[in-house]
Amino acid sequence: MTEVKRIDLGHINLRGDAGDDRFADGVEAALGLTLPVDPNTLSESDHRMYWLGPDEWQVVADRKNVPVLLKKLEDALVDQHVSINDLSGGQVTLHLAGADVPELLAKACTLDLHPSVFGVGDCAQSGLAKANVLIGYIDVAPVYEIIVRRSFSEYLLRWLRQNSHFQVGTASS
Amino acid sequence: MLLISCPYCGARAETEFSYGGEAGIERPKDPHALSDAEWADYLFMRKNPRGLHTELWIHAQGCRRWFKVERDTVSYKITSSRELSLGASEKE
Amino acid sequence: MQRNRLENGGRIDRSQVLHFRFNGKKLEGYRGDSLASALLANGVTVVGRSFKLHRPRGIVGSGAEEPNAIMQIGKGATTQPNLRATQVEVYDGMIARSTKGWPSVNYDISAINNVFSRALGAGFYYKTFMRPQALWRLYEKIIRKSAGFGKAPKVADPDSYEHRNAHCDVLIAGAGPAGIMAALAAGLSGARVIIADEQCEFGGSLLASTAMFDDLPATDWLDDTLAALAEMGNITMLPRSTVFGYYDHNFVTIAERCTDHRNEAERHGVRQRLWRVRAKQVVLAQGAFERPLVFCNNDRPGVMQASAVSTYLHRYAVRPGDRAVVFTNNDSAYQTAIDLLRAGATVAIVDSRPGGAGAISQSATAAGIPVLAGHIVVDVNGGKRITGVRVGKWLGEAPQVVASSMLIDCDLLAMSGGWSPAVHLHSQAGGKNVWDDELYCFVPGESTQANQSVGSGNGKWLLSDCLQEGLAAGNNAASRCGFKPCDVAVPETGSNIEASIEPLWRVPSEEDPDHCPKQFIDFQNDVCVSDVRLAVREGYRNVEHVKRYTALGFGTDQGKLGNINGMAVVAECLGKSIPDVGTTTFRPAYTPVTFGVLAGDSVGELFEPVRTTAIHEWHEAAAAPFEVVGQWHRPWYFPKKGEDLQVAVERECLATRNSLGIMDASTLGKIDVRGPDAVEFLERVYTHNIGKMKVGRCAYGILLGEDGMLMDDGVMARLGEQHFYLTTTTGGAASVLSWLESWLQTEWPELDVYLTSLTDHFSTIAVVGPNSRRLLQKIGCDIDLDKENFPFMSVKGAELGGTQVQLFRVSFSGELAFEVNIDSNNALQMWNMLIDAGQEFDITPYGTETMHVLRAEKGFVIVGQDTDGSVTPGDVGMNWLLSKDKDFLGKRSLSRPDSIRHDRKQLVGLLSVDEKTVLPEGVQIVVDPDLPQPVPMCGYISSSYFSACLGHPIALALVENGRARKGEILYAVLTDGSVVEVRIVSSIFYDAKGERQND
Repeated sequence: MTEVKRIDLGHINLRGDAGDDRFADGVEAALGLTLPVDPNTLSESDHRMYWLGPDEWQVVADRKNVPVLLKKLEDALVDQHVSINDLSGGQVTLHLAGADVPELLAKACTLDLHPSVFGVGDCAQSGLAKANVLIGYIDVAPVYEIIVRRSFSEYLLRWLRQNSHFQVGTASS
Repeated sequence: MLLISCPYCGARAETEFSYGGEAGIERPKDPHALSDAEWADYLFMRKNPRGLHTELWIHAQGCRRWFKVERDTVSYKITSSRELSLGASEKE
Repeated sequence: MQRNRLENGGRIDRSQVLHFRFNGKKLEGYRGDSLASALLANGVTVVGRSFKLHRPRGIVGSGAEEPNAIMQIGKGATTQPNLRATQVEVYDGMIARSTKGWPSVNYDISAINNVFSRALGAGFYYKTFMRPQALWRLYEKIIRKSAGFGKAPKVADPDSYEHRNAHCDVLIAGAGPAGIMAALAAGLSGARVIIADEQCEFGGSLLASTAMFDDLPATDWLDDTLAALAEMGNITMLPRSTVFGYYDHNFVTIAERCTDHRNEAERHGVRQRLWRVRAKQVVLAQGAFERPLVFCNNDRPGVMQASAVSTYLHRYAVRPGDRAVVFTNNDSAYQTAIDLLRAGATVAIVDSRPGGAGAISQSATAAGIPVLAGHIVVDVNGGKRITGVRVGKWLGEAPQVVASSMLIDCDLLAMSGGWSPAVHLHSQAGGKNVWDDELYCFVPGESTQANQSVGSGNGKWLLSDCLQEGLAAGNNAASRCGFKPCDVAVPETGSNIEASIEPLWRVPSEEDPDHCPKQFIDFQNDVCVSDVRLAVREGYRNVEHVKRYTALGFGTDQGKLGNINGMAVVAECLGKSIPDVGTTTFRPAYTPVTFGVLAGDSVGELFEPVRTTAIHEWHEAAAAPFEVVGQWHRPWYFPKKGEDLQVAVERECLATRNSLGIMDASTLGKIDVRGPDAVEFLERVYTHNIGKMKVGRCAYGILLGEDGMLMDDGVMARLGEQHFYLTTTTGGAASVLSWLESWLQTEWPELDVYLTSLTDHFSTIAVVGPNSRRLLQKIGCDIDLDKENFPFMSVKGAELGGTQVQLFRVSFSGELAFEVNIDSNNALQMWNMLIDAGQEFDITPYGTETMHVLRAEKGFVIVGQDTDGSVTPGDVGMNWLLSKDKDFLGKRSLSRPDSIRHDRKQLVGLLSVDEKTVLPEGVQIVVDPDLPQPVPMCGYISSSYFSACLGHPIALALVENGRARKGEILYAVLTDGSVVEVRIVSSIFYDAKGERQND
């Protein structure tokens, strides 16, 4: 049994130069977490920060904290060549819980999600069915966080509904 | 289906990538100094070799980075996969 | 009555009687039976008619190679055609029909073909039915019907199918002795293993074997080993799963039949599953096929593979005949003779080799089986069932004619022409096959991917060799993946079958090969020795051409039985060796797979993603029909009660022009551009002057490909000195972002610019019409919206109705208009607020159709509708957008000779002279419709609508040299041949001065 919850979270997209100490320090100061520079990993404190690419990250946080975090990032990274964008309106966050999740996702995702390969704290952008997704293994329980573009979310939920016997719930973080 | 090694994200299925054609096609610095034939050569002519081919791919479903792949067009074996910056000097 | 069922033995459960129908006849079988074994148990000999000659055919094999027993299983929506009876498990209530043999396998009107079979040689269909071409449809209908291939169901498939992506260290194709040993070794090493086998049970040849392992039946070892594999957590075992495709980089596909073996009422869940496996290492253990021998009338029911006879005896406890002859050129069939004798049949061996067999010969003789060494079967007696074989003496050379010297009565002929490894997957992977001069077969050559072939699939006929090779390959594969190989005990087999064979490709007969009774090479396609010889005589030399001319190796079995024999006959005719003739290409699928399993769940609502905006539920509640744009579902129009498209759109257009319209424009692509080099970057890709843009201002921008053709367009807003915001067309959002990224990353990495897609984050609500400003003011806007402070083509952050938005003063309708960009989380609320507050202005929601009409009235192009990738800015009157002060992508191409031709098609307006006809989009424009055909065409209509504001139809068209032809009368030719007079006019129909949008 897989439990699927739609979580109301906020999202910030961040671009910058990982090789610049000022950037990493600024991010750490603003968000209170270490900039994940290892590919396909995330770091976590009160919020999660996903590595998306060599110069791109996504912060997932409580929606109501987003304005504050945006401000903190802007202040900490002022004078640097960065790009900080609120994407909260454009992303839908799902939490999938249960031991069968890797198997469920394997129906329509080409990633190897075997726990020996994709462990807690790992993340990857890939395709799930015909939508692009960001998948993070966020809790050993296991819980997987799936972030999808808002416009694809109804399609993805339909896919999940058809491919698993799960209960959809909503929850606020 | 190819298994392509993104220099940033690692080996992923071909479905995550898009093809960008021959690598190393440099945009002329001053297009208007070129004859029509020279411009057409830049626009349209490609090597299309039988054998090793250096080509561009983008990890479209992943990190959205372009990179350079050396692939055998007969066996489809990929012999290298590198960040663009690492191979810049080899531009032909 | 299962008259051929043995009382004991077999892997069947006699306590579970299964009732089924074959061609309408009620029959019984047991749990564990294949359809073929159940038919044989019931004494059914004729299972179909052949494709071309309509000869009666019986079961030949026991597996994937079966060419004759091709069945339609089930009925109605869930029926499946073209299944091999040898691979179908019988279930209670099964309905099976021969796919070949309409109207009856026993009485066939087309059998008259057989009488005239001389006329039906190679290429007969090509030669006869090619002309006149007009009659081909008729011919095809008759041929198809009487050939009677299976029928696809006519109604939607109610079953569900799914895909499953999988990754493993070692994938093993085939769970016979070699495959199981490989799995055991790799599994014990700790590797992630998948082992798949097409049969319902693992074991391969062991399931029908009398072999002893360590002095116990081999099946004991099998049971123990499978139990051990099942205990390991790292092995996925897939029975009923055919590895059917081997693609690049060790990507392998497996079709798993999950519920096909159950009665329809007991089928629950997924019917078939497609496994898409990426394996680090692959072990190919698919086994081998026994080759038929090619003698006269070798297709008569009752002629079977020797190994198949043994399989029916041991695995299914079915004795397919009472009086048997075994005809062989190698040792392996001797075991079949012994098996038959033990099962109570009389049996004789005809061995083409003058010296007979090796050690096993004594076993046969000792058992009392007469052995005729140096003899061959030259012909067969009997029609729907063989009644005897004619045997002649043969000295091992290859004379053209051999007289028969004796007739042996029999009802079963078990033949063995040697073995061919199933090299299919090895070949699909790109590996070549090499001819083995001792084994007389192709064996897998060097692998081109990370795979190893083992067991009989690698030309190893001895069980002990198969086990050893499987073990070695399993360990090897595991260690290549970084696991430590382990020591596994290989059982002692004590087999005494030697692997000696003397080739006998075409058995001489009583007449020469071009005039003797038919010697079949490919049963399914009725290809005979004489056909192949004819093809060669007619000039075909390449085996691929012979294949296509004769149809050798076509059909559901893809030549699994006949290919090597066919090549040998070609080689003989050409005086070449078999390896010189070469093999045909092996392609997926190894055996046929269903469309259902290939489609998986990508059907119905999941066939294509549906993208929806944040306001979608409102549109649904308003009962708007949706138009699919890209993957987006956009409201098309908002009908009031009783309105059709035209009435609704006319109302929407008028309301918007006269008062207030509102549209969900959220699907527009939106890109955030930031960085110190943002201006420089945009200068290089957009055609207009970016640097001159002031912060807070917007500009219409176009993107060209390097070929100079219009690629996309949109509004560009300058939000800061180093900060821009771009919109793209709905369909172009992803491709434009990717296009911009490609230039940044590959060509200009020195530019410091970041691009971020905001398409989903922002929803866009267009508020359009003379009352739009009043509406925004009414709900409360903290910026001054008047003309002076917020002029046309401006952008400002604002608080609107208490919510932070980005407000644009842009217009795609020519009216005073605003676009509200808002966090999608707040979009629906904002939409509702605007709708409520707009009631006093009779606010009218409109969809894509009205949007199209409004923009067409203004002559605004839609990239992709009024352009098609061959249209320059000049063609659509946008030269004013091209900066002369800088280079930009595509600029150089605009001076290519083709770009400056005077007769290029140009965008113009068109009016129907009758002021009534709304011209269909896409129709061609001609100067004179009365010219002889083909009438020269000078353009086509790209957009066409009825304009309610103007009271007549309008159209946009691309017409050769159109701008210089204003006022000219041309003709639009409709698809029904009728002609409409049209006049070329300006492409701007409404408010040519643009006063309304500037208001």
